[in-house]
Amino acid sequence: MIQKVRVQTIGQQNIKVYRLEGILEKDAKILAEKLLSESINQRYAINRPIHLEGVKAHLRGVAVIEIAYKPGVMNPEVTSIMKAASDLGIKLIACDSSMEYLNKKVSFNPLIEHIVTEEPQTLLIKEKQSQTQIIPIRNLNDKELLDLSKDKLFLNLEEMQTIQKYFQKINRDPTDLELETLAQTWSEHSGHKTFKAKLIVDGKEKEPLIQRIKKEALKHNKNIVSAFEDNSGVMDFYDGFGICGKVETHNAPSAIEPYGGAMTGSGGVFRDIAATGKGAKNIASTDIFCFAPVDLPIEKLPQGCLPPEYLLKRVVAGVRDYGNRMGISTNNGSVHFQEDFRARPTVIVGAYGIVPKKYALKDKPKIGDLIICVGGRTGRDGIHGATFSSGEMTERTIEVHSSAVQIGNAIEEKRMFDALLEARDRDLIRLIQDVGGGGFSSAVGEIGESLGVSVDIKNAPLKYQGLAPWEIWVSESQERMVVVLEEKNLEGFKDLCKKHNVEMAVLGKFDGSKKLNVTFGEEVVGDLDMHFLHKGLPKRILKATSPVILSTAKNLEINEFRDPSLIVQDDKIEEPKTEKEWIEVLKKVLGHGNVCSKEPIVRMYDHSVQGTNDLQPFSGVTLDGPNDSPVLRPFLDKKYGMVISHGLNPILNNIDPYWGSIWAATESLSNFVAVGGDYKEACLINNYIWPFPDEESLWSLDRSVDAVVDFMKVFQIPVISGKDSLSSTYRAANGTIIKIPPTLCMSVFGRILDVDKTVTADFKKVGSTILLVGKTDKSLGGSIYYQVNNLEGNSLPKVDLKLLSEVFTAVNNAITNGKALAVHDVSEGGIISTIFEMCVGGGMGADIHLEGVKAHLRGDQILFNETAGCFIVEVENKKVAERLFKNIPYHILGETKVDQKIEVKNLFKADVNDLKKAWQEPMRRCFK
Amino acid sequence: MRPKVLVLKADGTNRDEEMAFAFKIAGGDPKIIHVNELRNGSERMENFQILALPGGFAYGDDIVSGKILAIELTSFFAEELRKFIDRKDTAILGICNGFQVLVRTGLLPFRNVGRMDVTLTNNDSGHFECRWVKVKVNKNSRSKFLRGLEERIIWYPVAHGEGKFFTDNKTLKKIEDNNLVAFRYVDNNGNQTQNYPANPNGSLNAVVGISDETGRILGMMPHPECFVRVEQHPNWRRGKVKVMGLPLFENIVEFVKGVK
Repeated sequence: MIQKVRVQTIGQQNIKVYRLEGILEKDAKILAEKLLSESINQRYAINRPIHLEGVKAHLRGVAVIEIAYKPGVMNPEVTSIMKAASDLGIKLIACDSSMEYLNKKVSFNPLIEHIVTEEPQTLLIKEKQSQTQIIPIRNLNDKELLDLSKDKLFLNLEEMQTIQKYFQKINRDPTDLELETLAQTWSEHSGHKTFKAKLIVDGKEKEPLIQRIKKEALKHNKNIVSAFEDNSGVMDFYDGFGICGKVETHNAPSAIEPYGGAMTGSGGVFRDIAATGKGAKNIASTDIFCFAPVDLPIEKLPQGCLPPEYLLKRVVAGVRDYGNRMGISTNNGSVHFQEDFRARPTVIVGAYGIVPKKYALKDKPKIGDLIICVGGRTGRDGIHGATFSSGEMTERTIEVHSSAVQIGNAIEEKRMFDALLEARDRDLIRLIQDVGGGGFSSAVGEIGESLGVSVDIKNAPLKYQGLAPWEIWVSESQERMVVVLEEKNLEGFKDLCKKHNVEMAVLGKFDGSKKLNVTFGEEVVGDLDMHFLHKGLPKRILKATSPVILSTAKNLEINEFRDPSLIVQDDKIEEPKTEKEWIEVLKKVLGHGNVCSKEPIVRMYDHSVQGTNDLQPFSGVTLDGPNDSPVLRPFLDKKYGMVISHGLNPILNNIDPYWGSIWAATESLSNFVAVGGDYKEACLINNYIWPFPDEESLWSLDRSVDAVVDFMKVFQIPVISGKDSLSSTYRAANGTIIKIPPTLCMSVFGRILDVDKTVTADFKKVGSTILLVGKTDKSLGGSIYYQVNNLEGNSLPKVDLKLLSEVFTAVNNAITNGKALAVHDVSEGGIISTIFEMCVGGGMGADIHLEGVKAHLRGDQILFNETAGCFIVEVENKKVAERLFKNIPYHILGETKVDQKIEVKNLFKADVNDLKKAWQEPMRRCFK
Repeated sequence: MRPKVLVLKADGTNRDEEMAFAFKIAGGDPKIIHVNELRNGSERMENFQILALPGGFAYGDDIVSGKILAIELTSFFAEELRKFIDRKDTAILGICNGFQVLVRTGLLPFRNVGRMDVTLTNNDSGHFECRWVKVKVNKNSRSKFLRGLEERIIWYPVAHGEGKFFTDNKTLKKIEDNNLVAFRYVDNNGNQTQNYPANPNGSLNAVVGISDETGRILGMMPHPECFVRVEQHPNWRRGKVKVMGLPLFENIVEFVKGVK
């Protein structure tokens, strides 16, 4: 018996539908009046259509379309409805909510939602218990092994053969659960096979990528608390605390269900912070996206891919709805556009936390310690997420992998974190592990590696019955964690979970067997040797070959690896001739997706929660001048703080993966320095988002890693965390291949002793002196200026690394001494865009003259120059400038003025507010 | 003696620590308490002088914002709430989600526990808004917590998706006639405004927050607890910024201390 309550908000045509199972109509009426509707601005109807006043005549009689979550997809509202009904003394058996639309053109995502065509008889999902299967693999030939792997295990032939040999040796066939466990553990997502592989680069053997990074990083361990060994990297903070950071990509799910993908991406990276050591507290998050331009012509969209504007809006909504509910301030990020991201968007989510150092490291588990699952229940959602994300995108991706998609429930995660932090502070916890990719299989498998564990997965709380044991084991249902504690702490832990309405169950214990023993009640469903599981994966040897050698071998011009029409010698482009031409091109640059104001996005993210943000995303007279990096004060009563920044440029690595990566790393650290950070007090996080590593892509990846290693050497600061996502290639049935631009995203976080000694980018005073600080390289390859002229260019700006640390130090000193009134980092859009943004913040104008800058450069080569590691600095006067920067390259560019015009002597005079329209318009239009 | 402040938390509450901090530096003695601790009797409302409902998304703001917590409070604490407001030495403050809870319990504006007279509904913009806004204090406000702030124009941050104050004309008139409006959104000239984004949600008659007629219950959408240090303002580096959140908390603490 289901009661159907419809609720309409006055003035809206859409109707909310609630189905309430197991109660009489009179109880439904109580719920409708007290819980589901509010008479001030809503009306309701029970078991009948609602009277639609205010509906336009032409819509009356139009068929109503009801969209609901598919059965089995978690609807976050259900728990709350059940709770409130119970508080009102009404016991529901089940309930659901959905929406009725009058408009015929309703967009919904068929992966998670459906059109309701017949009334459900019950909302309970009842399925027969699925049994564990034995998979005979011992006698399969190579083709049969590969067939078994395809679309499911994502393992290659050598790996399948290794598994076959193991089971031949132990004289039995594996269970489905055992095969799935191996596939999860050995997936690219979990196993990082490429980063661990031995590389042959242009015929010469090189150390595995991960080893190169780690080796260099650990030389600079002054501030490291833990690096590469936990769910996030931890660096030293003050007063016995550490700060930690983790950055992840969530591209694969976001490509097919951007809202849920962005939510679960955020949820996952927050859990990484919460599962650092014995638990850290999340204090900030960052979001960095790459899409195709929102005006991409539909015919350019590959089959099976979603349009970029839809992706952008839904990803932003997902980040908003998850991060805001978690109470974690989203205060740093960026959005980049490049056509080839049509193949697969890049969605990068970062989280930062704080942890007392005494809880920053995990304790070693002991025999007898309990393994407990906490948080959300396990369902069929998210099965094969880890293996799926390791595969390439094809036109079939959406059909085959819909179960990899899910919707997050932030409140489930929030209350779990509240409970876990309290348990940590009562010393109840040995360690916390996130349940993410690979589900329990990875989480339990990892923590049990050295001792061995026995777990009974029948104990795991389920969303609904009918899951096969292997499904429970590898499900990636969100908002779950695994906690290890001593048996004597169990009761205390239970109490805390109860206080916060968090569900928990004991899954098993550490048993010293060095095995992964999995039972489902009495039935043994898994019995794997830990050594084989973790060390059995054959090490790969991979070949990487430079485009030069590849092109010689294939008898091609080197440039045929890139679209030749994009390539231009730097002197081929003509400088704008008239003021009109200048303003036209400047508006194009400011309106480019990578440069334009992202304020409409940022305003939807809560960046004020926790009250810690002492340098906000926007400041200035009209609060719309953008800043480079947030400065947080994690403890409201302390002066010390934390700076977070990042840098990436998706186009430069196509031109030169080494110098493109140096640019990204420099940009990230420049953002850190621009607000007042001292680079020596920073740590780095590197994320590589690459196409599938064929020989050529692996070559560029190798170059990028070398760049990161060199960057660490120069600045003597470490990378302490990172991740790779090496599957951003699209392959269509007809053979078309689209690779996303190989992208290094470098994130930076660090400490600062006094947050008062920081600076924003808005110009502060009229008549002060504007400086360009740092050494520019005249190359414009990859610049926005070239891009708006439909060019890519051949040489990109190379950063002078030898000089850069001195520039950073000088800028830092200027800020710390209070002599720099405003600082803004030069980035995409170039020097003139930087000055423009500072004028916006200051509500001022600027007189610019270029004579001081090298005489042989053209105006456009200076104004649109994007050399990373350069800054625009506002100081009181020329004397101050000389005192601060005499030992490094700097130029006086001009003065600030009241009149809101940017006047570049002999070239043009542009109205700041006119330019501002062009700069604000793209995202305003998108998010209106 | 520092007055004891009950900072009430439920699943999804997320501005509890800022609220506690604000009361602490204003001279109060705050304690963050989960509603389950009140339900199981380990903590009692009667032991406190100030009840503070912080921002966040209590129970995910499912159905509508603050609804589930409001039902929990009216189902289990109606009597205690009545006793609490009948005492003369108590104060209640609801900020953002806490304000949404207060109107849904009926405590605001008319102290009718279990009966709603006004609502806070979806922003006209259709989405969450995080920005700084200017509000002007009603010089005749009944609130006891706004002393010294009358007619001042104050910067506060807002961060919400359901902050549009709405009710029927009769109720609105009653609220305005009784000076229950505590603040209104104003534009750069200091005039009450319906224009976005100065009025970030489209609130009827630009209402930002309201009090009851005793002046001891106040609800508001902006976050004064996130403006208790000058550095929390985005433009503190430009000078001329005064901390305007802290005085509100100091007033509340002073008020309950002053009642004999």
